[in-house]
Amino acid sequence: MTEDLQRQIGELTAVHKGLTNVIERDTDMVVSGALSFEASAEGLETIIESFDIELTVPNDFPEALPRVRETGGRIGTDYEHRNPSGTLCLAVPVEQRRIFLEQPTLLGFVNRLVIPFLYGYCFFKKHGRHPFDEAPHGYEGILRHYVDTLGLRDEVAALAVICFLIEHGYRGHHDCPCGSGEKVRTCHGPALLALSRAHNQQSMRNDFIAIFGLCFAKFQEGKVSIPKPLRTQLVRLLDRFEYQR
Amino acid sequence: MTIDIKKYSAFLEQVASEIDIPPGKYQDAVDRYQAVGRWLEDGEYPGCQGELSICVQGSFRLGTVVRPIRDGIEACYDIDLVCEIPLHKDQTTPQAVKSMVGDRLREHGTYKKLLDPEGRRCWTLEYAEQDGVGFHLDVLPAVPDARSLVDTAIAITNKAGNIYSWSASNPRGYGVWFDGKNAAAFARTVFEQKQTIQRRASLIYASIDKVPDQLVRTPLQRSIQLMKRHRDLRFNHHERIDYAPISIIVTTLAAHLYDNEPDVYSALSGIVGKLQAHAALVEGKAIDRSLAAKGLIQRRPDGTWYIGNPVNPAENFADRWHEDNHARARAFFAWVDALQKDLLNILGETNPRLLKEHLGRVLGTAAVTKHLDILVPPTPVFDTPPRIHITSPAKPWREE
Repeated sequence: MTEDLQRQIGELTAVHKGLTNVIERDTDMVVSGALSFEASAEGLETIIESFDIELTVPNDFPEALPRVRETGGRIGTDYEHRNPSGTLCLAVPVEQRRIFLEQPTLLGFVNRLVIPFLYGYCFFKKHGRHPFDEAPHGYEGILRHYVDTLGLRDEVAALAVICFLIEHGYRGHHDCPCGSGEKVRTCHGPALLALSRAHNQQSMRNDFIAIFGLCFAKFQEGKVSIPKPLRTQLVRLLDRFEYQR
Repeated sequence: MTIDIKKYSAFLEQVASEIDIPPGKYQDAVDRYQAVGRWLEDGEYPGCQGELSICVQGSFRLGTVVRPIRDGIEACYDIDLVCEIPLHKDQTTPQAVKSMVGDRLREHGTYKKLLDPEGRRCWTLEYAEQDGVGFHLDVLPAVPDARSLVDTAIAITNKAGNIYSWSASNPRGYGVWFDGKNAAAFARTVFEQKQTIQRRASLIYASIDKVPDQLVRTPLQRSIQLMKRHRDLRFNHHERIDYAPISIIVTTLAAHLYDNEPDVYSALSGIVGKLQAHAALVEGKAIDRSLAAKGLIQRRPDGTWYIGNPVNPAENFADRWHEDNHARARAFFAWVDALQKDLLNILGETNPRLLKEHLGRVLGTAAVTKHLDILVPPTPVFDTPPRIHITSPAKPWREE
């Protein structure tokens, strides 16, 4: 365990005193115990609760983010936002990274992602609706995230955006990948900057695979067309990722 | 109690080396660009007699590389390669020269795939690397500029729309000028540093004399790296990104103002202090006479700004500083003040948490956290009650 991670775990357990167990499992660090909180949100009720959780911190943290399980048996398989593996699905990956980077420590991760998720769960159980809305499942949720946060025309525009992010990151003077003909800085500049800040190599690659997968399926059905420059770029990226079509 | 200056200087040195290119990565980059260079050299160029000349310019050449942190994430390194074709400027056209190089790159199966659409001045090869840290290799086509008085001068091509033109440049001359400013400090430190680098990267460099000069860093180079990193983080906001001081200005002024200080802290305070002393120019006021006499940053009678290229005074690095009501000039001096405040006036801060937050914000959390122990011994963490107010929460999702 690195000294920095040790320090972060110390910071986390000093605030959330119920998280008392810290063990090493394979190459991961696992922090577990009771996570108690008194949480409120703008215009919504205060909820005081406690959940038994297990936080698995991968050895490449913070490149990869921790996985969280609820171990007290309260959040069952019937709850929609549990992954097939049983981990809690806090948000679409890039959104998870964006929020994490606002306070990139284990404590920040718990306070900004885990507790709001648990708050949302409690609220849902009580009122039958999600206080913070919910994202569609799977690849569709990832694609929607791009289309909605950027106000894009369609999935092909989302594909152009992710390709652009992978190859260039933020470049203000380039043509905006949304296809408006404007420069990035006068078009989707702030949104692209926010996305590109939130991403790392792995998360960009995953989003690329998700969006490409959906677009390619529609392309094969003849429902969308992919312009030539974007196709050239795709060939290059697929080569790069050695993606098996 | 204050932080010991010696310790702080050692800390800055470590942070700078953390954001520098590591020796293994440097070697990868050199291998890549040398291969491109050889491929270009072996090409046939119509009407061309003699040998092509390939050289690297920019921060790779100057030893002031900083791992770019574009938008909060660490991005690819940029490498600039000049490809000088021995053709007479008057017997060819910028378009012909540009396409000769582009065509040659496209003849290569791999480069063809890595090549970006034609850029304004260069051809860019996008190298993705297995560790995720790639390179953008910019190849700048050029010809010798025989009309210039300086024999290292070249003409590079420029494309605006479909119109091509020549621009004057002299990267070799600039490199030699910079080396001159750096020479004394380099001589002082070269042996010790090569020893350390060789010990740390003994798999790459079998002996001390195998360690290239380009990996040695003087307090001048370290100061430039820190200034660039501070700039990258400060101007990382979309609204300000276009006014960020360009690297060539930062590098040129720092090299002019470096006074052979023996350590990073004193080098940086010297440079920043003398830059701050130029700030009155924004209001059109006079500055210290000895500085004014050097003429490093000048205000012309018409209000425009001038920062000359030391090897080509006709080139003005600050030619856009008057635009938008002197936005770049204002941004520059505000940034210089921030350098003073963020990096130099902090020796009184001894609360480890604040120190970490503060330095992390201006130099990057990863690099700072790693070396904070130089400044303060690890301390117990602080206490807050777990009362959480949720703002801008995420929507829950699910994998399939």
